[in-house]
Amino acid sequence: MKNEFTIWINGQECVAHEGETVVDVARRVEVDIPTLCHDTRLEPAGACRVCLVEVEGERRMQPGCAWKVRPGMKVTTESDRISKHRSVLYSLYASDHRVDDESLPVETGNGNQLRQLCAETDLIPLEPVAADRVGRPDDVNPYIAFDPELCILCARCTRYCDEVEAVNAITLAFRGSETTISTAGERGLLDTTCELCGGCIDTCPTGALIEKKAPVERPTDSEKIRSTCNFCGVGCQLDLHVSDDRVVKVTSPPPGETMNDGNLCVKGRFAYDFIHHPDRLTEPLIRGEDGVLHTASWEEALQAAAEGLNRVRAKHGADALGFVSSSRCTGEENYLMQKLSRAAFGTNNIHQCAAT
Amino acid sequence: MTNSIPEIRDSELMFVIGSNTSEAHPIIAMEMKRARQKGAKLIVADPRKIWMAEHADLHLQLKPGTDVWLLQAMAHVIVNENLVDREFIEQHTDGFEAVVEAVQAYTPEEAEQVTGVPAADIRTAARQYATTEKAGIYYTLGITEHTHGTDNVYCLANLVLMTGHLGKRSAGMNPLRGQNNVQGANDAGATPIFYPGYQPVTDEAARLKFEQAWGVPLSPDNGMNLNVMMKELAKGNVKGLYVMGEDIVISEPNVSQVEMGLNQCEFLVCQEIFHNETTRFADVVFPASCFAEKDGVFTNSDRRVQRVRKAVDPPGNARADWRILCDLARVAGYPMPNYADPGEIYQEMADLTPKVAGISHERLEQNIRGLQWPCTGPDDPGTPTMHEGGPAIGRAPFQVVQYRPSAELPDDEFPLVLSTGRTLYHYNAATQTRRDPGPVAKQDQNFIEVNRRDAKRLGMSHEEHVRVVSRRGEIIAQVWVSPRVRPGCTWMPMHFAESRANLLTNDAGDNVTGTGEYKVCAVRLEKLPTSHGAAYAPSELGHPVLNDRQR
Ligand code: SF4
Ligand code: SF4
Ligand code: FES
Repeated sequence: MKNEFTIWINGQECVAHEGETVVDVARRVEVDIPTLCHDTRLEPAGACRVCLVEVEGERRMQPGCAWKVRPGMKVTTESDRISKHRSVLYSLYASDHRVDDESLPVETGNGNQLRQLCAETDLIPLEPVAADRVGRPDDVNPYIAFDPELCILCARCTRYCDEVEAVNAITLAFRGSETTISTAGERGLLDTTCELCGGCIDTCPTGALIEKKAPVERPTDSEKIRSTCNFCGVGCQLDLHVSDDRVVKVTSPPPGETMNDGNLCVKGRFAYDFIHHPDRLTEPLIRGEDGVLHTASWEEALQAAAEGLNRVRAKHGADALGFVSSSRCTGEENYLMQKLSRAAFGTNNIHQCAAT
Repeated sequence: MTNSIPEIRDSELMFVIGSNTSEAHPIIAMEMKRARQKGAKLIVADPRKIWMAEHADLHLQLKPGTDVWLLQAMAHVIVNENLVDREFIEQHTDGFEAVVEAVQAYTPEEAEQVTGVPAADIRTAARQYATTEKAGIYYTLGITEHTHGTDNVYCLANLVLMTGHLGKRSAGMNPLRGQNNVQGANDAGATPIFYPGYQPVTDEAARLKFEQAWGVPLSPDNGMNLNVMMKELAKGNVKGLYVMGEDIVISEPNVSQVEMGLNQCEFLVCQEIFHNETTRFADVVFPASCFAEKDGVFTNSDRRVQRVRKAVDPPGNARADWRILCDLARVAGYPMPNYADPGEIYQEMADLTPKVAGISHERLEQNIRGLQWPCTGPDDPGTPTMHEGGPAIGRAPFQVVQYRPSAELPDDEFPLVLSTGRTLYHYNAATQTRRDPGPVAKQDQNFIEVNRRDAKRLGMSHEEHVRVVSRRGEIIAQVWVSPRVRPGCTWMPMHFAESRANLLTNDAGDNVTGTGEYKVCAVRLEKLPTSHGAAYAPSELGHPVLNDRQR
């Protein structure tokens, strides 16, 4: 580790390293500093100001997500001044945000972190701001929707699109109270460089970006099962959201937790409709004398398959059989397939569908 | 991969060859993008101007199939400018002198003639790669899907060894695996020459071990690889086939041969989640489970064993694949044990396989980032970076390689080179992705990328439907006039059942691995009768000339 030194957070002695920010160190020692525009995958932007802390020797409060630690630095994360700042700031955000009957920012599919912060704070009643920010309601892309009334302009989505996915499909557009998230020429995402990775949905702290396929599906509505993506060889980890024995949504584990660092591509995040597709095979089939495949019971189908393969083996020898295993199936299944080929049918004619 | 995906972001140089990373491995590409943003150099060798190439510091746009020339010329520069890592070569390798000699003929100037890459660029790439400490090589099927695929890999390995880029973080030799569990299927012994963990079937000690564990005598002979198996099927020598989770009628090269073979084979069993082109020929079809419906593990490109967990039940009477395989073995007369769950199956494999002996489902519950093999015991944390402190096999041999042209080169009759591959939005036979709206909105039908000059010469315009003909078959596809391909070259994805690229591709295989030459075959483009109008709707193209099994 490069240059290690000590800093104090709320009087607690903490180990810190050159290049770290106050939030980095605080998270490690489990001191809670609220953040909204902060994402470990992005360069600090210092945009939302909810993470302001007091740093000894600095007249103004400073954003903990961007402020770099220095040896011996003394930081305070809870004080009257900070509480007051937060309550004013959250109130301002709430006044410019769609609120529910509890006067709190509305809950949405992705979980609204602003709502949580507001719920823990005494808000100052303010006149609602009527900003004319536009979304792109005619965007026909099948996955990603944007609700400008829930956006706090923290620019996590646009920075993600630039710094992580590096396609720059979405940007901050217009000025002043009209500032919004849009695309060049306000085109639909299908007509931009967007690759539909959905990382913007994942990073948005307020749920202003919404998965069209699961608009109201909240993290708390379903059970999450951690699994591995079944498409390419990167092996991204994902959480399958299950409700009523159906996969209703797929999200990535939080950044830092698994190898994919919170990221997924279009296939891993969105291409899950096939799981419950009506075309799925649901019954064993046997080809009849009429040349057509007919539904059969498992007993019949297993019997027919075993007999057919054994017949070939008896007539032409084991090496007239071939077994094609699948790189789509699990390791255990591949193990069983080669065991079936070798031990049950006596041939090494076993290969998987992708030799590379 | 000798190294790990999370190491990529700390690279200083990435040499990406034959890998359309941003489309085929998007999240690895994200790591590369991150490294680039931190100042790492990116060198891309690819016949197409893919996204990675556009964002590269240097794009070596070689002609398809000339990789050996390019890589040998890079070795030529490194050797003759003495940019080699002497110490590493002496301590850890054998046969360097023979390679020094062999590469002398491959001068950058002559390489320029063959590959089309300027000699100066070859020199720059070689120098930068050799002199950068954290320099990794990343490759995919663009390297391996050739009749000289193994030679390509040897050339890359020679570069890694002569520069000592092995056993170090953010360096190494990194094949990116196409499918989720290619690595795991190989590791588990789904190969004709190895038991699980690469124990050769021809090795008597290994055979005896497995005979004892499985309680039956086993064949001492190497089996057929898939390429050979498909050819023997067409010849009528393979008479019974069991296919689990692959659409061989879309995915194998020169598929009309495969179809012929399937029509005459005596018995075909398919285990699938959807009907596909192959199940049309099946005698028995087992309804199987997708990844969300079963437990087990996948092993990704960086040898990381990670859990797959059952989230929902399979539909109707479909069953988990592992259950089907056990059931069938028993009905066929082999006493497959009564495994309670896939964890027990894994345990049986781990007990027989030193490489993964330390991995179990229990340990994977604790290790949410997975475990990377080699992992030989219960306390072994696994191996993110391989060959630290020297090659695992002791001394690594250099391989002498000579250039051989691709099996089929363009000529007067078939003047264009066709390469095939995958796109970001679809996946292989696309039985999954074509059932989701996004991929369909982005790409609803097959296309062929054609260089502007060729399109003009042939009088073909963007989005016009044309006939693509090779010696093996013909299909209809939409022309995409694209600056991404070189003049004389074309490119097509392999995802579309009604317009199958693999009716065209050549099934000539690599002589070591049998991998088909998907990346180079010769085609010609023909205009369609204009009476039909400029464009065909996808539905008008109809279903291919595919017949159900004839009996
Ligand atoms: S859409 Fe979400 S991530 Fe993007 S600026 Fe608005 S609040 Fe931030
Ligand atoms: S999410 Fe995308 S990059 Fe990750 S494993 Fe799945 S297909 Fe590959
Ligand atoms: S989290 Fe620090 S300014 Fe937004």
